[in-house]
Amino acid sequence: MTEGDSAGISLETKGTAGQKIIVAILLLIPLIVFSITPLYNHVKPELMGLPFFYWFETVWLVVSAIMFLGAALLLNKMEGSK
Amino acid sequence: MNNVEVLAVFVSLFVLFVGLGFWASRWRKGDLSDLGEWALAGRRLGSYLAWFLVGADLYTAYTFIAIPESLYVKGAVYFFAVPYVGMTFGVAMITMPRLWKMSRKYNYVTAVDMVKDRFNSRTLAMIIALTGIAAELPYIALQIYGMEAVLNVMIGQLVASNAASITEVSLIIAFIILAAFTFTSGLRGAVITAVMKDIIIFVTVIAVIVVVPMAIGGFGHAFASMPKLPTGSDSLAPLFLNGFISLSIMSALALYLYPHAINGVFSTSNTKKLRISTALLPLYGVGLALLALFGVLAYGAANALPLIHKYGALTTVPSLIYAYFPPWFVGFAFLGIFIGGLVPASIMAISQANLLTRNVIKPFVKNLNPKTEARMAKYFSVMFKFIALLFIFAIRPLYSLQLQLVGGIIILQTLPSVFLALYTNKLSKWAVGLGWLVGQLSALYLLVDANFIVTKGTSITTVFFKFNTPLSFFYTGAVGLFFNLLVVAVGTVIARAVHPQPAVATSD
Repeated sequence: MTEGDSAGISLETKGTAGQKIIVAILLLIPLIVFSITPLYNHVKPELMGLPFFYWFETVWLVVSAIMFLGAALLLNKMEGSK
Repeated sequence: MNNVEVLAVFVSLFVLFVGLGFWASRWRKGDLSDLGEWALAGRRLGSYLAWFLVGADLYTAYTFIAIPESLYVKGAVYFFAVPYVGMTFGVAMITMPRLWKMSRKYNYVTAVDMVKDRFNSRTLAMIIALTGIAAELPYIALQIYGMEAVLNVMIGQLVASNAASITEVSLIIAFIILAAFTFTSGLRGAVITAVMKDIIIFVTVIAVIVVVPMAIGGFGHAFASMPKLPTGSDSLAPLFLNGFISLSIMSALALYLYPHAINGVFSTSNTKKLRISTALLPLYGVGLALLALFGVLAYGAANALPLIHKYGALTTVPSLIYAYFPPWFVGFAFLGIFIGGLVPASIMAISQANLLTRNVIKPFVKNLNPKTEARMAKYFSVMFKFIALLFIFAIRPLYSLQLQLVGGIIILQTLPSVFLALYTNKLSKWAVGLGWLVGQLSALYLLVDANFIVTKGTSITTVFFKFNTPLSFFYTGAVGLFFNLLVVAVGTVIARAVHPQPAVATSD
């Protein structure tokens, strides 16, 4: 890594206000859903013998990964080719 | 069960593991007498390897041993680990690309380098570095408990007597070997062996989740056989809501404050790859969720229960595997769990050594040349591994998970100086230092209160559970962080009223 590279790194996030809002939504939804435990603290409906409490959280890991990936791709696009 | 076959597969794969660890020093060859090369693998990792490396921080004995044990003994509250891994990568998506950019822009090797710059204070930087080092110790100790759990089952089933002392000697030998290859290969050794470890673990988790439920009549049967556990069985007992929420949110905030996680971030080659690998890490958590459920599955597994009773709840996962799989697979899976403790222990010791050399010793030594700096770090990485080993011979917590949670309380108090400082340079160093102190002391007070007054020293617990107070059943780390942030906010307002100009080096 050269000195030139380090000087050129910008800490500002580029992109339009609309893009930033979409990124914020994609990142915040999983954080909010996981934080509201009463939302998923139920036994029914069960899935393959698993109470709702257990399978809902596990499925949300996959949903979170998809949302985070969406945010990551958008952020990478906003950052441009550098 | 042919226990010799188990041992033979285990030992053969361990030899392969060690070979990979030493070979790694030649992989993507760099000058290993340079600290950035040794501790950050030359900062050239792409998305896949960064995913494996940071994943290796997550898939540790915490996942294989501590969470299933806690779920088995105490029940639903310990499923908090699932929201924790769901949320922690959201926190990382927000904070880590910015920290990465600052690290390249200003040439930081550790997060503490940033703290030193932001607050223009060597003393504060040193406090934060020592906090990181201290917080890693119980986390490494937890890894050793996990390794010990596997050996207990394997050796206990193999020999009639002296199993305990053979286990101890084996652990020490494994640590000497690990120390040798960490010394030689640095983070490269950890990355390469992390890939091997994770492949074995993925195969094991999938095999167990398919085979065991079929053998015992499904999860329905396991839940039906589950007794009423203290914190809830088929869902969370309402009393533990505070605990569940505070444990998951605080753990999510804590992971990326740990030096070893930040080390993984700094070793990636660019922010785009960092974002993609971070975004996909919750998928790793699915494995964690399944492993946590093994704690429930055990109740329906009639063949595994006698082993769990004999060797303790710490061996919930090894016992399940031992009871339902052929010997070669048991050896394969046990090796996976064993190196699942070793690899993270190596990464953690590297990051401790990195901090100690760069942020605690270097400021005192004039003209420390890069070669000496790297050599020092290598020796310190050996030292920290053996401190952790001593730690476990000295302290026997009733539940292994509590070790990681103690580490969490300590590391959480660095949140204002690291995460908040990423976004603002207006915080007063005095307020942040005082906030750290108040946070640590208030959490320590609650910890002592919970352990010596409520449980009378019979176990370590990190959840504060005095009835009739609004703080009941909160993770003590959350209470400490609350007071910490309060002091930082009030202190900064006061400090800025006295000295309106923040004295900082970097102004972004």
